Amino acid sequence: MNAVDATEHYETSARDPAPALLTVVLDTNPHAWALLEDSLPLSKAIANILVFLNAHLACNYANEVAVVASHSQKAAWLYPHENPATKISHDADGDVSMNGSSTNNNTTEGPGQVNKYRPFRIVEEQVTHNLRELMASTSGPDVKANNSTMMAGALTLALSHINRRSIAWAEAHGADTAAETSGGGPPSGGHASGTDTTEGLQSRILIVSVSGASDSAHQYIPIMNSIFACQRLHIPIDVCKLSGDAVFLQQASDATKGIYMSLTEPRGLLQYLMMAFLPDQRSRRHLVLPTRVDVDFRAACFCHRRVVDIGFVCSICLSIFCEPLDNGTCLTCGTNLEIGDYGAKPAVVARKRKKKKRVNGPSGTATPTPTPTPGP
Amino acid sequence: MAMAVAPSRPFDYLESLPGTTFYKLYQQPSTALAIFRRMLPDLAKCFVMALLYLKDPLPATDLEAWVKAESLKERDNALSILGRLHILSNTVITDNVRAYKVTDPFASSLRQALTGAEKTQSFGVLWHISDGAAVSIAELDEYARRQWEGVLGYMVGTSGLGIQRDANLSKGVKQLLQAGHLVEIRDRRVEITQDGFAFVLQDVSTQVWHILMLYVESADAIGMSSVEVLSFVFLLSSLELGKAYDKKHLTSNQLRTLTDLADFGIVYQDSPDASHFYPTRLATTLTSDSSALSNPISGSLSGPSGTGSNKAGSGFIIVETNYRLYAYTSSPLQISLIALFTTLKYRFPNLITGKITRQSVRRAIEMGITADQIISYLATHAHPQMRKHNVSRSTSNQAGIPPSVLPPTVTDQIRLWQLERDRVKATPGFLFKDFVSLAEYEAPCRYAEEIGVLVWKSDRKRMFFVTRHEQVAAFLRSRK
Repeated sequence: MNAVDATEHYETSARDPAPALLTVVLDTNPHAWALLEDSLPLSKAIANILVFLNAHLACNYANEVAVVASHSQKAAWLYPHENPATKISHDADGDVSMNGSSTNNNTTEGPGQVNKYRPFRIVEEQVTHNLRELMASTSGPDVKANNSTMMAGALTLALSHINRRSIAWAEAHGADTAAETSGGGPPSGGHASGTDTTEGLQSRILIVSVSGASDSAHQYIPIMNSIFACQRLHIPIDVCKLSGDAVFLQQASDATKGIYMSLTEPRGLLQYLMMAFLPDQRSRRHLVLPTRVDVDFRAACFCHRRVVDIGFVCSICLSIFCEPLDNGTCLTCGTNLEIGDYGAKPAVVARKRKKKKRVNGPSGTATPTPTPTPGP
Repeated sequence: MAMAVAPSRPFDYLESLPGTTFYKLYQQPSTALAIFRRMLPDLAKCFVMALLYLKDPLPATDLEAWVKAESLKERDNALSILGRLHILSNTVITDNVRAYKVTDPFASSLRQALTGAEKTQSFGVLWHISDGAAVSIAELDEYARRQWEGVLGYMVGTSGLGIQRDANLSKGVKQLLQAGHLVEIRDRRVEITQDGFAFVLQDVSTQVWHILMLYVESADAIGMSSVEVLSFVFLLSSLELGKAYDKKHLTSNQLRTLTDLADFGIVYQDSPDASHFYPTRLATTLTSDSSALSNPISGSLSGPSGTGSNKAGSGFIIVETNYRLYAYTSSPLQISLIALFTTLKYRFPNLITGKITRQSVRRAIEMGITADQIISYLATHAHPQMRKHNVSRSTSNQAGIPPSVLPPTVTDQIRLWQLERDRVKATPGFLFKDFVSLAEYEAPCRYAEEIGVLVWKSDRKRMFFVTRHEQVAAFLRSRK
């Protein structure tokens, strides 16, 4: 009569999986892309990334994407953009990497030219349009003045967007407003919208990075703060490194359990994206992920933003410094620290051979050990 | 009979199609996209996307190494579904290495869907219309609701109860419902069948798919190719709500389909001769998840309609732990639905009360309604008050069992009442027997279990029973 037990029916829920939000942070540093011109020009990379975004949207009806450009002097939204300007400006100055982006417009001619699924088209048009505008707004002196990328700002933008979407999604599907919103209800009974809150919007961040480590050292603190925020919110940061090697991004993917890949052959970007970065958190449970064993855990010092192997750490606020402080005052918290006799060779004392005392020998019955509880 | 049971998944029907049909279907990028999105499990989607832009087939060992050892079952399940849908094919590359690749019409169509490279009309062509003349989304929702409720009302037979029957139901709709054995005509009176009862209790998106599949099945009979109709359905599902689309690029058969679907409220056109059409919410959410078909339609469909109540979208049924049921409705459609499984006691202007009893549930089950359908109907239309109660309760709920809007005693009891009748369960399938050795028996048996087709096995008798035999047979052949 075991069959007369209805509990097994609880498992017959055919609930649709929660959608995923993919935020791509695209490093558009003109200096770095100029170096990549031969193997993978920016236009090609964008085309590849757009296909990848479409693939992500194709996976689930409710999937969302967002694209942030981490440019040389600012971080800017590429998609979604609140008020896209109507006029398409042409890039007048002859920067090398920008010529690439203007050749990209064969996919975005006018409406009705190429027959395409509408959500795909909207993403594509906005991304290319906004990117072109961003490039056009970049003047020569801007590029000369700065050769790094605003990764910290872009990460923060991405995080705030993820936060907003997660809240909006939870409000639309969550239990507290279930009465108003889920009139359609789950298709099979026995479970209510309360289950949604356990698995909310699945967000992740993909950084397509080209700039090197030294460029981003001055943003060490904001970058690490965003990484810790991601870690706390269980948002994996995937890093697709096209050139150079960024110390902090390795730590980012390591701390958030994301994927770090440094592409040996940037030309195959699309295949890398499709194979390694497309699976969402649910699928990743089943897949063997490309992991990196030798993560570079170096930090940047707080005084000169140098990347250091060994440094000095304030014992109060854990700030890192590359050299002993002038008068022993921590620059961050102002505590007066004693450095002692820095530079002296530590006295090496030969390790004493300790004889191990046997605690529970055969004669251990005498020791007053508590009697273990008798087994069943 | 294929349509005797409402399909649990709308696409079950598709799996039964022959390979050549798939070949034709996959010519359209919108079809490839819809099938990819709706029918594949997560892992299968990963496989397809990973292989899509590879030039050479991927050796099977590489693909197998990509999946964690503990997820073997998911992997084989994904590969099995991909095989059944003719998306992934096994090839042999040099050195007798087995390899997978995405089959061709599907691969090129999906690539086209992603990049939009080719000039096909697979995703519809927008009709440019001035803003003033366009039909608003609210109007489309209202149209879809009216039409769909008209269909349901026709089936349940609410004409005598005050609702105007078949507001403008065409002959084609009635014929389709008859052909699908959802209704029968007896003595010039419309009578709903067992399947019809099961049908009306489903949620709206399942109902729409059911109707569409009936339509596709009947297409061949009225001289249309089912492939053409199916790909048109997938085309509709990829359109955007609130936009007008050009009819110029459609074939004559597709135009005919369009007129038929307009009767169901799936598409809207000003007149059959109009040069453009609008998809309604029923169409655009076909390949989305079922909950995306949000309130404007399903809410007003389920809620008390025609009572002037503005709380469209909110439920109206309260079930108590003592099996009493209160429904704030005066809709004849809803009352007749509730009466299917409840013993009604009183009727007030805006409220009916009744009791769910063993007798009433058994009566419903004899009519072909399942316990799950009753429960899902009650849960879908539960009153906001019950949901609120459930939220406060679910916080203290123990893990494992998802919280239910309905009182657990009631849902359990309804299921137990069904189980009283369900003592034997029939599963059509294939028996493998007469294995020479235990080893020869074990391997295919384990394989069948991994791909999820095994129903029963007996180690002593060296027999096992599966729902599908093709892959097991292929497995046996490959071992010889």
